[in-house]
Amino acid sequence: MLSLQAVTKRYGSLTALDGVSLDIARGEFFGLLGPNGAGKSTLMSLVAGLRAPDAGTLTLDGQPLSAASAQARLGLGLVPQHVALYPELSADQNLRIFGSLYGLRGTVLRERIDAALTAVQLNDRRREPVKNYSGGMQRRLNLVAALLHRPKLLLCDEPTVGVDPQSRNAIFEYLESLNREGLTIIYSTHYMEEATRLCSRIGIIDHGRLHALGTLDELLLQLPFEDEITFPETAATAPLLPLLAGSGTLATSEQTHRFRPATGYRLSDFFAHTEKLGLPPRLFTSQRPTLEALFLHLTGRTLRE
Amino acid sequence: MRSILVLLRKDFTNFFRNKAALSLTFIVPFALIYLFGQIFGVNRKDSGPTGIPFAVVNASTNPAAARLVDALRAEKSFHVITERVQPDKTRRPLTEADLRALMQEADPDFRFALVIPADVVREDEFDLHLRVLSNPRNEIETQTVNGILQKAIFSNVPELLGQSLQAQARKVLGQPRAQEFNRRISGTIADTFGGDPAAIQRDIEAGDLTLRRLDTEPEAAPPAPGDAPAPAKANPDFFSRMVRIDTEQVVGANVKSPGATRIVGGWAMQFLLFALSASATSLFRERDFGIFQRLLAAPVTRAQILWSKFLYGICIGLLQLIVLFFAGSVLFGIEVLPHLPLLMVVCVFAAATCTAFGMLLAAVAPNAEAASGLATFLILLMSALGGAWFPVSIMPQFIQQLSKLTLVYWSMEGFSSVLWAGHGLVQLLPILGILGGITAGVMAIAVWRFNKGRLFE
Repeated sequence: MLSLQAVTKRYGSLTALDGVSLDIARGEFFGLLGPNGAGKSTLMSLVAGLRAPDAGTLTLDGQPLSAASAQARLGLGLVPQHVALYPELSADQNLRIFGSLYGLRGTVLRERIDAALTAVQLNDRRREPVKNYSGGMQRRLNLVAALLHRPKLLLCDEPTVGVDPQSRNAIFEYLESLNREGLTIIYSTHYMEEATRLCSRIGIIDHGRLHALGTLDELLLQLPFEDEITFPETAATAPLLPLLAGSGTLATSEQTHRFRPATGYRLSDFFAHTEKLGLPPRLFTSQRPTLEALFLHLTGRTLRE
Repeated sequence: MRSILVLLRKDFTNFFRNKAALSLTFIVPFALIYLFGQIFGVNRKDSGPTGIPFAVVNASTNPAAARLVDALRAEKSFHVITERVQPDKTRRPLTEADLRALMQEADPDFRFALVIPADVVREDEFDLHLRVLSNPRNEIETQTVNGILQKAIFSNVPELLGQSLQAQARKVLGQPRAQEFNRRISGTIADTFGGDPAAIQRDIEAGDLTLRRLDTEPEAAPPAPGDAPAPAKANPDFFSRMVRIDTEQVVGANVKSPGATRIVGGWAMQFLLFALSASATSLFRERDFGIFQRLLAAPVTRAQILWSKFLYGICIGLLQLIVLFFAGSVLFGIEVLPHLPLLMVVCVFAAATCTAFGMLLAAVAPNAEAASGLATFLILLMSALGGAWFPVSIMPQFIQQLSKLTLVYWSMEGFSSVLWAGHGLVQLLPILGILGGITAGVMAIAVWRFNKGRLFE
């Protein structure tokens, strides 16, 4: 559906996107995961036609996407990072304006506004100025304002920044339901929890480059370990450390040891050592690696840096 | 076009929901125009200043000096003070020492004073001896007071000048020869115009120089031969009649409220500039909210956004100017209705120029705060230079040339052309052309800057 081929975007001497290639299929919920300044918003703005790439091509259903292609942009909906609404106007008035810009009018527009406000539970406050809404309500309205014209592709640029957990969950559920109905969604975030929960496929981006791309499982396979075992740094566990040498990586911080077994290492060997040393199983916690760990592995820095 | 109309409707909806913007656009200018109209007295039938505190110390026993004080009391421009209230509430005549002390204390009632010394007419000097003491606040005030004072002297007590001339004659010719000169002059006047030579000589020696006798009403019939001449009717404003100035207002003679036309036009322009600059700087707000991202992701172009802002500015400007002119009509009697179509044409051009100015500010400033600061500076400068505060004609020549570079000047010229001179469209075209040219030039620079800048990114 959406195809980016070797897309590059520069701002002066800064390369915000560096030869990014990406294909997104119809009905996908695609996550773009990266820290602030990674290039997520630049990529979104190129897809939305707000900026033109310096090199490369973008197509939507085979049609070139550019700032000049108004027809192609009718198939897109953008949920900007900011609450892009007129605060003095009511929800009703805001939606009427944005819907009208997509050529909606009359009964169709009214019905879509009703449906949108009902979907995000703002129907009873539709005539209040948006500035009186809570942050979560504004974010919900910000989302449906991009959906009135029923786009084929929805671009969500960090749509939950500053939102309380309850509203965030409401937004997630709404997006998931839209995706189930067939809407293709590109969702940029720097929260790995959001990408993990929502996205069927994830691209990890940093410094304008796409470092990894795939389903969650596919991505995690790129890690040189499958599990991570943590245990406290005590005198009792100290004899275990030499026994693990050469079996994986061992890191210690905040009085906790983290052991990441090398590929092929059998966990039964690990627990044979602990049994031999008389260490109770409750001291040990095993967990699956996360996107955070993958990001650290791929870029050498954490998502929050 | 449809997108532009949707955006235009959005701006109007926003505007009419914003009570502060509504108030700043209509109510505040309305109130201030009313206030300034009152300050400048545009509704008064009479003109000129009134009640300027003016202290007078008369140390002379010359009757003409007393008449001068009376004349100053009768002058509406002055509030004459001749006495000082003492701590025990009793009053005593002011002295020159009092005046100097009170002026040193910066007493607001003692900023201008006339001292008529005992020797108001001296034997050894040609001129009158009067002293004006002042603690002026500005040059205009000083010149106003001096002008009114000179008019009062020449109009009411010209004999003081005659007495001075007589004193000089006595000094130069000697008393006997001066007396003989007066006698012969009096005889000649009596032979020619009639009258008692001795009485005429007394008048001349008192400084009257027979002026009162010459200053008769023009329609007085000449005496029949042998009859005694009819008594002359004195006119105290003789000097005004000696130099006769016929004033004829060629343009705008029938305008009911000329002062108000200028006041309302100037101040309306100033407030229009403020309102439209604020509207243009709202571009920054929309950028910061991310609204441009949403709009440009829709089938809306940058040009459509700018056009909608431009049209909105013209509409709001037209509305504001017309409302304020109608307010001027109600408050000060400006004749708006007979000129409404052409006035609206000028208002559209003025609003377009102001909107372009606001757009340029938004295009060159890095953020809303900088735009707002720059707008305040430029608007006040253009208003002052353009004649919104004071008539351009009282400004120095160099400033008068500069004022022609301001949109305020040309907008006010347009208003005057319609409301004052009653010009038609053809006569108005040059002014409209200049306003249109300024608009096109400023907008071209603004659009170029918008394209080069990052407002929309």
